Amino acid sequence: MTVANDISLPDRVQSANKTSTFPAKSVLLGFLTSAIVVFCVFPFLLVLAISFGRKVDGAAWVWDFTLENYQRFFVGVLWPQEVTFLYLQQLYYSFYFAVIASLLAVVTALPFTLALTRLSRRAQAIWLVFILSSLSLSEVFIVMGWDILLSNNSGLPKLFKETGLTAWLKEVGWFQTLRDWGLANPRNVKFKTSDFATILTMSYLVWPYAVILLYPALSRLDPSLGEAARTMGASRWTVTRTVTLPSIRLPLMGTTLLLFVFLLGTYVSITVFAAPNKHTTAVAIYANIRGANLNAPFGATQAIILLISASVCLYLGHLLNRRAEGR
Amino acid sequence: MRTFGTIYMGLASLVLAMPIVVVCGAALNSGRSMFFPPVDPTFVRFGEFFVSEPVWTAALWNSVIVAVGASILAVAMAWPIAYLLWSTGTKLSKTLAGLGSLPFAVPPIVFGVGLGFFWAFTGGLGEIWAGVISHAILLMALPLVTISIGLQSIDRAHLDAAATMGATEQVAFRTVVLPQTIPYTISGLFFVLVLSFNEFIVIFFVSASSYATVTLQIFNSLRNGYTPTMAVAAITFLTVSVLVFSAVARWGDLPRLMGADQSRK
Amino acid sequence: MHGLELKGVSKSFGNTRAVEPTDLKFAKGELTALLGPSGCGKTTLLRMIAGLEDPSVGSILLEGQNITALPAHKRKFGMVFQNFALFPHYSVRENVAYSLTIGGVDKRTALDEANNLLETVQLGGFGDRRIGELSGGQRQRVAIARALAQEPEVFLLDEPMSALDAKLREEMQVELRLLQQKLGITTIVVTHDQREAMTMADQIVVMSNGRVEQIAKPQVIYHQPANAFVADFIGKANFFDGVCKDGGVLVGENFLQTASNFRTESPVRIAIRPERAFIDFDPGANRVAAKVMFVRDLGPMREYHLQSDIGPIIVEHAAGETNPELRNGDATTVRLPPDALQVFPRYEAA
Repeated sequence: MTVANDISLPDRVQSANKTSTFPAKSVLLGFLTSAIVVFCVFPFLLVLAISFGRKVDGAAWVWDFTLENYQRFFVGVLWPQEVTFLYLQQLYYSFYFAVIASLLAVVTALPFTLALTRLSRRAQAIWLVFILSSLSLSEVFIVMGWDILLSNNSGLPKLFKETGLTAWLKEVGWFQTLRDWGLANPRNVKFKTSDFATILTMSYLVWPYAVILLYPALSRLDPSLGEAARTMGASRWTVTRTVTLPSIRLPLMGTTLLLFVFLLGTYVSITVFAAPNKHTTAVAIYANIRGANLNAPFGATQAIILLISASVCLYLGHLLNRRAEGR
Repeated sequence: MRTFGTIYMGLASLVLAMPIVVVCGAALNSGRSMFFPPVDPTFVRFGEFFVSEPVWTAALWNSVIVAVGASILAVAMAWPIAYLLWSTGTKLSKTLAGLGSLPFAVPPIVFGVGLGFFWAFTGGLGEIWAGVISHAILLMALPLVTISIGLQSIDRAHLDAAATMGATEQVAFRTVVLPQTIPYTISGLFFVLVLSFNEFIVIFFVSASSYATVTLQIFNSLRNGYTPTMAVAAITFLTVSVLVFSAVARWGDLPRLMGADQSRK
Repeated sequence: MHGLELKGVSKSFGNTRAVEPTDLKFAKGELTALLGPSGCGKTTLLRMIAGLEDPSVGSILLEGQNITALPAHKRKFGMVFQNFALFPHYSVRENVAYSLTIGGVDKRTALDEANNLLETVQLGGFGDRRIGELSGGQRQRVAIARALAQEPEVFLLDEPMSALDAKLREEMQVELRLLQQKLGITTIVVTHDQREAMTMADQIVVMSNGRVEQIAKPQVIYHQPANAFVADFIGKANFFDGVCKDGGVLVGENFLQTASNFRTESPVRIAIRPERAFIDFDPGANRVAAKVMFVRDLGPMREYHLQSDIGPIIVEHAAGETNPELRNGDATTVRLPPDALQVFPRYEAA
């Protein structure tokens, strides 16, 4: 009977719609469709079209169909006389920072979220308010907070110096190691600019997202699975390794991918914390479209390549999911 | 395991709170530069942000216009799509929902660039209404999700029951569907409100420097160094977020909205 | 005389037939139970009567008028749903007054009327409660009051007792029947519980696989089942397969006399209720040798599970009857009286 009910519902609603079709409905539908196409699809098509455009001197550009911008991105403008991989290197740093930061966020958010789902419903709601508030906090504010914390004459370096931690580090010889890693100048520790600060901030940026994305999957984990494994003699760690992690493998991978795609476009953290020679494609896009370079077509090209990279990663993730589910 | 979990949650929240605490503390500085811990604490900066400095009051006003406008517009667009998806499940409604969520799924800088070009052609670049529409489109995915969750939570038997008591499709919509989805609609509205308030990249491209929201104003001031007034802005925004999400948690089912399992309490 | 009538009504979902072409008559003021296992199409049939489902073929008549094309909200047959479908965003009183308020009745009149109905179902004073504050039994009463508020011509109930616990269920069955008789309203109840159907119904419609198997009064359904399915579904029965011979049925090596019969050599299935078979050592016809496998003493009756020459048999003796003291493994004889044996045609590989 339940089966019959399930089958019948869409059927019924559709037939009801057929009988009560009045023009207002189709007008609304037409309006919605055109609005979605104009605002959600058209801007992307525009970027694609402009990426084939040509810059003319005098800070403007014209429609065209040239592959010059793409050639410039991959091998440089003077190819084949001269080859430069500057723009590919920027893309590489986009990936480099995004991969490490997203992995770090997911790995550290996982135990937190697990602990969160074991709390009472009320406590969960309170924690979620905290997480959501920090999630919605603008990148600008987050960068500001970390900047104060990591800048050379306040925050952590100052704390290191005043508490004598710096002197102690020098004594035991680890200070030299920090200098080798670029995390110290001759006098004190220094976090700006460094990969460490960049990745930390980016990771912080998406950490609440990681919690929110992992939360549904983890809250659906059946605790009796783990309990069953425990009655069969598995230790806590064995349970985690053989039961918990395999059953959330898909959401873990999915979350990492989403955070990664999100971080590909990070702008403020990179400009503030990353060394200029490690700036990313996102920064270059800004420079071309709004900043000093004023080369909109090339900015569009870089945006398209970033978009394609993101799509390819999402698609690969989708394929992996499908294969994992098919098994 | 229990204690480990508690300790880990404590540590994580400490790191999570650290930059926020620092920013909040810095707002109390009396001088022009930021120090932590604050030097000579005062509340003068709050007056500057809300009342006396036109740069900041204008930016705050712009932020409010964009956020409120965008949240209302986003909900107004998401409702019919979510309702269509729920009541008919046609291919068209699925496509609309998918395309409507697209801007939220790609790196925001790409959508920002696209909208920048789009408004340049349509004459909206640098206009505040274009900023409202841009944010509404970018964040429409959120009410789309919350309203869909709300609609799915309606027992179809309720609609049948209404019909057997003489309710037409329109009456059932007004008396059964609408009242039961109001908490979810408001949640969606609040999500857009808060995220639009804090959004930076897209508004950066579509404002074209002709007006500034608070986040833009802060970014523009970055080069001149931080001032405690900026920290006041951060506190304000954080307070709004906490209030809004507390309201959602109080009057809506926050764990369910976030996708928690319903069977366990 | 006939209040509601179905003529050749059937329903298909895609390629599957949920309800085969069905003719049914529901007499005015009577209570009919649609009884069958889950998936037999009884709920689909009820939903077609309510107007929530369009019949693929056939017509529905009310007082001789064709109402097939009339949508649910115009038929306004009161309906009680499986989980009651009470609106959580309204109070109890507003739920009951729903059909009146949306029908344009003045709000105060509607709420007064709702109060009266709540009195009728013994929930006076509960009007201001939220639905979440009610127990299962109270919810059911609210659902009944709500469905009756519009004074429907036909009252429909879809598994109304399934959300209640066993004890409450029995009480509510009696109460609902008394209410229905007082109001004299044409009522159709869908149920999979034969006790519920026997308690409440004037007429029972037994269904399986979208087909009506038998339409009759409760006693007839039990004592004269139309076929082996009905005999099996209503109450308990022992079944044996055999072949017709003169004046009886040959089951394996054993010949059993029967009261009715079919053409010689046709395959048949015979059924006997456990309380109509006896453990009996006297020699005579219609007896089979058996061995005791298990004895179950249920208080009001004792059940003997036997392995006989013609297959397993369950025999019930009521408390107070002569109850032979038998233990597991004892050898005995079972008597199967000819008038207690029901003979049904058997379809091979059905």
